[in-house]
Amino acid sequence: MRALLRAAPRRLHPAGRLVRRYPLGTAGAAIILVAVIAAAGADVLATHDPTRIDAAHTFLAPSAGHWLGTDYLGRDIYSRLMHGARVSLAVGITCSLLGGLVGGGLGLASGYAGGAVAFVIQPVLDIMQGFPLLVLALVMTAALSPSLATTIIAISVPFVPRVARVVRAAVLSIRETSYVEAATALGMSRLRIAVRHIFPNTISPLIVMTTAQLGSAILVEASLSFLGLGVPEPYPSWGRMLSVSAAEFAQKAPWLVIFPGVAISLVVFASNLLGDALRDFLDPRLRI
Amino acid sequence: MRGQKGGQWGVLTLFLGIVVTVAVSTAAAPSPKRGGILNAMHREDPPSLSIHEEATISTNWPMMPCYNNLVLFNPLFGQETVSTIVGELAEKWTWQDGGKALAFTLRQGVKWHDGRPFTSRDVKYTFDMVRGVPELASHLRLNPRKGWYANIQSIDAPDPFTVIFRLTQPQPSLLLMLASGYSPIYPAHIDAAELRSRCVGTGPFRLKEYRRGELIEMERNPDYFIRDRPYLDGIRFIIIRERGTRIAALQAGQLDVTMPQEGSKTAAEQLKRAVPSLVVVEAAHNVNDNILVNFKQPPFTDARVRRAVSMAIDRQGFVQAVRQGGAVVGASMQPRPWGNWGLPNDQLAQLPGFGDPTRQRAEARQLLAEAGFGPGKSIRVTVSTRAIALFVDLATYVIDQLKQVGIEGTLEQVDSAQWYAKLTRGDYALAGNLTGIGVDDPDANFYENYVCGSPRNYSQYCNPEIDRMIAQQSQTLDPVQRRRLVYEIQKRLEIDGARPILGWSVDSYVMWPYVKNLVPHESIYSYARFQEVWLNR
Amino acid sequence: MWPFVARRLTLAALTLVGMSLVIFVLLRLAPGSIVDLIFQSAGYVDPAAKQRIAHELQIDRPVAIQYLLWVRDLAHGDLGISYRYGLPAWQIIRGRIPTTVELATLAMLVAVLIGVPTGILSATHQDTAVDYGLRVFSLAGLSMPAFWLGMVILLFLVREFHWIPSMTYISPYVDLRAHLVQFSFPALAVGYRSAALISRMTRSSMLEVLREDYVRTARAKGLPRRIVVNRHALRNALLPVVTVIGTEFAFLIGGLVVTETVFNLPGVARYLVEAITWRDYPIVQNLVMFIAIVVVCSNLAVDLLYARLDPRVRYE
Repeated sequence: MRALLRAAPRRLHPAGRLVRRYPLGTAGAAIILVAVIAAAGADVLATHDPTRIDAAHTFLAPSAGHWLGTDYLGRDIYSRLMHGARVSLAVGITCSLLGGLVGGGLGLASGYAGGAVAFVIQPVLDIMQGFPLLVLALVMTAALSPSLATTIIAISVPFVPRVARVVRAAVLSIRETSYVEAATALGMSRLRIAVRHIFPNTISPLIVMTTAQLGSAILVEASLSFLGLGVPEPYPSWGRMLSVSAAEFAQKAPWLVIFPGVAISLVVFASNLLGDALRDFLDPRLRI
Repeated sequence: MRGQKGGQWGVLTLFLGIVVTVAVSTAAAPSPKRGGILNAMHREDPPSLSIHEEATISTNWPMMPCYNNLVLFNPLFGQETVSTIVGELAEKWTWQDGGKALAFTLRQGVKWHDGRPFTSRDVKYTFDMVRGVPELASHLRLNPRKGWYANIQSIDAPDPFTVIFRLTQPQPSLLLMLASGYSPIYPAHIDAAELRSRCVGTGPFRLKEYRRGELIEMERNPDYFIRDRPYLDGIRFIIIRERGTRIAALQAGQLDVTMPQEGSKTAAEQLKRAVPSLVVVEAAHNVNDNILVNFKQPPFTDARVRRAVSMAIDRQGFVQAVRQGGAVVGASMQPRPWGNWGLPNDQLAQLPGFGDPTRQRAEARQLLAEAGFGPGKSIRVTVSTRAIALFVDLATYVIDQLKQVGIEGTLEQVDSAQWYAKLTRGDYALAGNLTGIGVDDPDANFYENYVCGSPRNYSQYCNPEIDRMIAQQSQTLDPVQRRRLVYEIQKRLEIDGARPILGWSVDSYVMWPYVKNLVPHESIYSYARFQEVWLNR
Repeated sequence: MWPFVARRLTLAALTLVGMSLVIFVLLRLAPGSIVDLIFQSAGYVDPAAKQRIAHELQIDRPVAIQYLLWVRDLAHGDLGISYRYGLPAWQIIRGRIPTTVELATLAMLVAVLIGVPTGILSATHQDTAVDYGLRVFSLAGLSMPAFWLGMVILLFLVREFHWIPSMTYISPYVDLRAHLVQFSFPALAVGYRSAALISRMTRSSMLEVLREDYVRTARAKGLPRRIVVNRHALRNALLPVVTVIGTEFAFLIGGLVVTETVFNLPGVARYLVEAITWRDYPIVQNLVMFIAIVVVCSNLAVDLLYARLDPRVRYE
């Protein structure tokens, strides 16, 4: 963390150079920003009530009245997308942060402390890891009944061991490098070594994993919706918008499927771009 | 006197049946071809293979070909009335004793798939088991249609080929219920529990293989009692869980016919556009979408509030939005032209929820105000429904409509595992629900869903006067008089808000043009015998 | 090395016991039981009949007893009787395992074949058009919901060719070509996503390694770039990639569930989900344990591989 803070002033580029250096990353950040704005301002930005059913105006193609058309119940797709951004981002961000924090901590502890600590943590991680993500999510939604909180918990838990494992792998390969040995020889405390030398080196995989999970979480929520679970109505999640209408209306009213599909793919795509760029930007060794 | 009339009726029916069968088989342009395998759509593993123990098309559709009934609704006619009933294991039948006894003469020389002969003992055994005679060795684990046969006093089998059903009261509808796909004859020599995982019937097809989650394969029964039937060599019921995949498989020609209840109007339109030669048949399936109002749960203990709920929901809008036009409005019996008992339009128009939506809403708001609710004191209610897309759409629509009269609904999605348990416990306030009815007959519907104390009367509606009217119509032999009573009951049920009906869905049944003689009926449960179906390939 | 292996084996055994407990308890926390579901199709619930069925299925016994009975049966190789089908669970599961294993293996093959080369190319051509192009391609794989990708493939095929892969399982012994055709599309749908993940991981770890001292030394010594990359960098860069492949196998199941559903393959992944919704405990428990064993073993293998590939990892 300190390495990060210390480095920050030197890393500040004018915006133009940042864009030129990381064009994909900037694009990613911009897309996420748009999604965040949509989520935050859904109440203002939406032109219609996202749950209002209008039997007389179902399957309307995009027009001035309904910018992205209406769905099979006559609900305004644009407004649903705006409100859906809330659900999808809430699921995505909360899950990836939870998974990243808990998983990163456990991975660091298990990899560096080793011995008894690893012996306790490792089986717990292995237990969590052994369950396929979707299965755990399904059993948990069944046990807790579908809700936003259930979905978040169900998706976060399986992320923990994934992050922990990769972080641990990074720790293991760094622990034996010459500069850590040198620091040990110089008499630095273990905690200090962990904070100063090990942790900064785990940031890169941690960020790759966490941002990838931002996307994954949104995708898993979509898969849960496809299987009839996931975040329940009335919250219009993108996953549900896509999965309910995908097969049935793809040919009759493609806009029902295209817009939520594009929304999901774009945000997931953007979060991955951003993750890559952040990694390039933050990785200490890229600056040596 | 009455008995004689009943007898003539039966003979007339038989005669009509024969005439009709002959007419159709000679009139149908090319003469039927033998051979070929039909690939039929299936959506899931049947809960079990035992028709008597289930109440779902998922069991009837693949298992009906394995069995025979005493009598059956003519497979070649969409309408199911007493005049379209034809004999299967029964050669002829007569009403006796003033409509209090129904006697069947059975077909001789029929064999079970395991080679044993079929006799009257099997018939008596089957219906004694279904009506729950306690001293039988074999019993049904589940018995969803026990109520259909509550009026039977005894079943006599005086000789191997005669069976007489003796009734407490006259009940003309008994014959219709016996003609349903839900009423196959089971073999007395095999434990009913075994029939959950295998099939021993007398039917035109035998179970060849059941690969769970994949395929139910039937093969032609070479010893079938009608010599040149069935035409097909076999039927493959291909189980495809995902709806979109099912539609794609039909479009790609991997399936020849859709599954009853699986043809939505939108899907059919898309298919027809992609493959113009596909045949689409619109047929109702005797399933209604409804809303359950819990009579024991305040504020719905107040008749005005219940009435307001029913009024607030625009039925025409429901049909357009939730069913995309693939439904018709109606009361508690299947509407015309599909059903035989549907309330005429002029009477329907006066029921709650059928008039002009704006006026209805105003009236609903007024009713709520009278009951003490309004701005400042609005009703907040949980609307429960199953976690299945169609149910969720239904409930979402209801919530939206209620919002417009000031009732704030929140949706609760219930896992299928808990759904009926929850309804039976009465653990809900409002619920979005679907009700399928086995036979288009008032007895089958009213006794199951509306009489006091019926396990499927989820709203716990109980009106002794209605019960009396239901019993009265059941015994009425004169069709005109019975119809008048049934209309009256339907009106009363809707006004009482016993189970407000939102719409009756219409199946858009899709098949490839080379599939012949597969005629969708007005009820989905009775047309899957496949005895007459052939392929013009 | 051997004490290390012994310790890892002990850990693995502990893990399996822990998992069996977790899944057992979690399943019993879920409201509703098979008996409710049996009644679901009948549309009513009869309390007396319900009790009788619960007794027949032995689910009215205390949970601890049920657990012990399960473990005892498992130790004897008896997986119990499926609540739903009334048939031995093993008989139902057996036929489905090869389908899923084959699909997973094919998908992984697709993933590695696409992922590793594109990752290396991306790294060695960092910040060039090649890099951007490959990254966008691999990111696209990570950005689409798996069911959506499968559905798009299916709809495309039916629209353009009036054809889709067979809806019923074709045995490789009957028709190998048709079998492979049937599996190739779902394998592609599942594998694309994993390929993207592997490609990213390869790229990022390759970039790190390329900046390591020993690689720079090798370059300074005048070794050709290609030899440095192949001999020195690749070997070490693939370490984290091996980890990802190991963990991805468990993760893959999620993709398999929806893909088997969309392509209607009679695999065990899709069936697991059905069994959960049916509360068919004998099936769910044993399948989850089966997957657990596979995952635990693959984790073990990854750890051991680590120890062999990277001499710096101590056996502790």
